[in-house]
Amino acid sequence: PRAAWTFAHHAVPSTSCPKSSALLGPGVLQATRVFHPAQPRKIRLGLIPEEFFQFLYPKTGVTGPYVLGTGLILYSLSKEIYVMSPETFSTISVVGLLVYVIKKYGASIGEFADKLNEQKISQVEEMKQVSIKQIQDVIDMEKSQQALVQKRHYLFDVQWSNSVMALGVEVKNCLDYHISVQNMMRQQEHMINWVEKHISAQQEKETIAKRIADLKLLAKKAKAQPVL
Amino acid sequence: MNENLFASFITPTIVGIPIVILIIAIPSILFPSPTRLITSRLTSLQQWLIQLVLKQLMMMHSIKGRTWSLMLISLILFIGSTNLLGLLPHSFTPTTQLSMNLGMAIPLWAAAVITGFRHKTKMSLAHLLPQGTPVPLIPMLVIIETISLFIQPMALAVRLTANITAGHLLMHLIGGATLVLTSISPATASITFIILILLTILEFAVALIQAYVFTLLVSLYLHDNT
Repeated sequence: PRAAWTFAHHAVPSTSCPKSSALLGPGVLQATRVFHPAQPRKIRLGLIPEEFFQFLYPKTGVTGPYVLGTGLILYSLSKEIYVMSPETFSTISVVGLLVYVIKKYGASIGEFADKLNEQKISQVEEMKQVSIKQIQDVIDMEKSQQALVQKRHYLFDVQWSNSVMALGVEVKNCLDYHISVQNMMRQQEHMINWVEKHISAQQEKETIAKRIADLKLLAKKAKAQPVL
Repeated sequence: MNENLFASFITPTIVGIPIVILIIAIPSILFPSPTRLITSRLTSLQQWLIQLVLKQLMMMHSIKGRTWSLMLISLILFIGSTNLLGLLPHSFTPTTQLSMNLGMAIPLWAAAVITGFRHKTKMSLAHLLPQGTPVPLIPMLVIIETISLFIQPMALAVRLTANITAGHLLMHLIGGATLVLTSISPATASITFIILILLTILEFAVALIQAYVFTLLVSLYLHDNT
């Protein structure tokens, strides 16, 4: 009966009533259907929806529905429509006990159930976070590796220029040698020119006579010895 | 009182159609099977309870015995839910019928014993003789143990039937007494009513305990024989 009441009081969106669907566009019926309302409908005494009380309020005020209920119960009892039986008392005790237990412990049991669900969610969330963190670590490591690779490019440049410099020294040495050889040649030429300039004809004759005298001495020495 | 005291125990028929099978199937509606990870409050409470009970029940069994887990858990859920639903007014409790309890007890007991005899014949036969009996007593003791073995299914069925039936009857009787006493002296009636309330609390407990005892004993027989 309770489910039937809540169904009948899907009052607010009239689009959820299938009979009026012809007036609307396609898909509106499906799109606007409400399955479980987030807030439960207001219900008094656990059985009767609030709308009934609101319905009777203009005519009978606040006590109307209660008087109606009491009257109905007394009427059914007095006319023996409802017969008092041993079942009645066991009903009263069972239902009374149930209502008491539910009112007292209902909220805490609900919270306990919510806590159980919360634990499940937090476990899964934990796994998700760990997984995300792992992947993030891998990404960071990858990025640092890439940065290293970039910097290695600089290292190679330095090494290349170093080796080129080393080669250049060798070439420089070679070229230097050639230059020094050329310089030497030039110096020799300068010396020869200077000698030819500064030796006059007079000195040439004297030196030639001296040389002939030396040669004659040598020839006398050579005549003394038998010619072979 | 109605026609007679046992009117609430006749198998219900609607214009001659027995609907008792439908009544036996109804408690399963109360146990929705979980479809997702985060379920409703009812389902998560049931899951937690079932885990708790299962752990307690199955801890002492070997691997072979644990293949019976599904059977034992559904047994305890069925008996518990039918007993609790039977406490509502004007309802019919299937477990008050001896036929049904025998139908539950005999196959389970027989399965446990036959498993034991098939796979561990020597050990099952050895159970028939307690340790350390003096030699002259052995023949008599074997006979006694065999009789006690064959009485086990009967005891299981009759225990459950008798407890639940007695509880319902007592509630009915004391309710009747309260009814009659209301017109004679309301004070006595209120005392009787208090007795009724206490009895109801007992009945709730008994409903659950009987389920537990039944299942526990079956699991015990299983343990002996695996």
